[in-house]
Amino acid sequence: MNRGAILWRVASFAVAAGFIGLWQLIANLKLVSPVFLPGPDRAWASLVRGFSSGDLWSKLAGTLEHMAYGWLLASIAGIAIGAIIGSSRTMRTYVAPSLEFLRPLPVSAIIPVAIAMLGLTQAMALFVISFGAIWPIMLATIHGFAAVEPRLYEVARSLQMSRLAVILKIALPSASPDILAGMRLSLTVALILSVVCEILAGLDGLGHWVLLSARAFRSADLFAGVILLGVTGYVTSVAMSLAEHKLLAWQAAQH
Amino acid sequence: MASAAKRLDAVPGTPAPQISFDAVTLQLGGKAIIENLSLGVRAGEFLCIVGASGCGKTTALRLAAGLYQPTGGKVNFDGQPMREPRREIAIVFQDYGKALLPWRTAAGNVSLALEAAGMTSAERPARIEELLRTVGLPGHAGKYPSEMSGGMQQRLQIARCLAQEPKTLLMDEPFGALDAMTRQGLQDEVLSLVAASGATVIFVTHDLDEAIYLGDRVIGLLPHPGRIGIELAVNLPRPRDQLSTREHPEFLRLRRQLFDFIKATEQ
Ligand SMILES: Nc1ncnc2c1ncn2[C@@H]1O[C@H](COP(=O)(O)OP(=O)(O)O)[C@@H](O)[C@H]1O
Ligand SMILES: [Mg+2]
Repeated sequence: MNRGAILWRVASFAVAAGFIGLWQLIANLKLVSPVFLPGPDRAWASLVRGFSSGDLWSKLAGTLEHMAYGWLLASIAGIAIGAIIGSSRTMRTYVAPSLEFLRPLPVSAIIPVAIAMLGLTQAMALFVISFGAIWPIMLATIHGFAAVEPRLYEVARSLQMSRLAVILKIALPSASPDILAGMRLSLTVALILSVVCEILAGLDGLGHWVLLSARAFRSADLFAGVILLGVTGYVTSVAMSLAEHKLLAWQAAQH
Repeated sequence: MASAAKRLDAVPGTPAPQISFDAVTLQLGGKAIIENLSLGVRAGEFLCIVGASGCGKTTALRLAAGLYQPTGGKVNFDGQPMREPRREIAIVFQDYGKALLPWRTAAGNVSLALEAAGMTSAERPARIEELLRTVGLPGHAGKYPSEMSGGMQQRLQIARCLAQEPKTLLMDEPFGALDAMTRQGLQDEVLSLVAASGATVIFVTHDLDEAIYLGDRVIGLLPHPGRIGIELAVNLPRPRDQLSTREHPEFLRLRRQLFDFIKATEQ
């Protein structure tokens, strides 16, 4: 790590510490009623209590499960559909524009439809989460497949590679930087929708925990849940970045 | 000019050409890029094609590779019509940077051709090592193309082509982007590789000296549309030598003839 990177890290820690300090100050001065705003001390105590009783563990596991299943389904379906569309010029010409039309459609609009069809169930959550998370992955895959160096397809033709081999050995690896970037974006989408579905359908998870805490005016528990969601988002995103870094080591060699 | 393929066929005792163009015409975007091109290349022959930029050299090579289908006439390989590219015909592209897989190491790039040929993963490592040694890249197996110089990348592309065990090697200005020293070294390596494998070669270049130095025969194309303007047999002894071959009176005579031809096409 160079000097600049270290300075940045120190600076961001300082900002975080300053933020927590300010939060504690506001809470201590009771600028906001303690019913709504617990100090970091109370939020931390609630976190510790929640984990030692096991309650938060099971809620965290529930959210991670919703998020993981939805994201994995979105990834598999997004890459598969994206590959089919992206590897055919005709499909790109005729299908891609309608995808651009569908994409800005807010996922919240699809939730009532999903609830009407599937009820307040895990299946509804899985559908909504993967429907929301599929877009960045699918569009990135289409783009990645469309941008494959044409020369490489000629190499593949002269080697008489099968269509499957061309996809697996040329198109997918070539598109992998785009696809992984799309998957990282989708991770955040999947987390947000997991919480939304838990709140709407009362499914076991941090979203439900946060909702119940808010209804009971247990602000410390509420904040503990929110903090845990933030940490979940951060940790999964960092893990994804590390995986990207490892999978795309060949790109680092290019600089 | 008369059909070279037919003329070759007509001579008793002459073997049928491995690659033959029979009155080949190719139109792209409503424009004739190649017109009425007839040509026969014997098995084991080293044919060089020269011509001004844009005269259709690359297009002719792509027709030979099966990457283009002629809009008129026929391209045959071993007496069979070329309908699509085949592993027996390997192409070395000029833009090696685009023709290699950046996410695969040198070994992985060579492996691609072996995988396509159905070689088992147990047999591959030894063959990869052998091929990398053949092209002068031993010890670079683990490097990515981006970590290699232009000359090394082009060697790697040649190694992948050799892995196809081609009957025919098509080379499109393979050394055009390399410096003079690297180029001369690679010329000699290609000559010895080809002598060892017995492959037929069609070698496109805009460097007239290179064409005469390497070839058994040199064809000069005329532009708009591309057609044969001159055909020279190169009767220089082999193995060729960078110094003595280039000083040979026959070399100088051919060089003069080819220069005059190219100069005339440019006017
Ligand atoms: N796909 C194409 N569509 C239309 N014209 C083309 C295409 N490819 C090449 N040409 C034209 O054909 C001519 C010959 O091209 P090319 O074979 O690449 O020449 P060379 O390799 O001798 O420089 C050029 O005038 C070029 O503009
Ligand atoms: Mg060219």
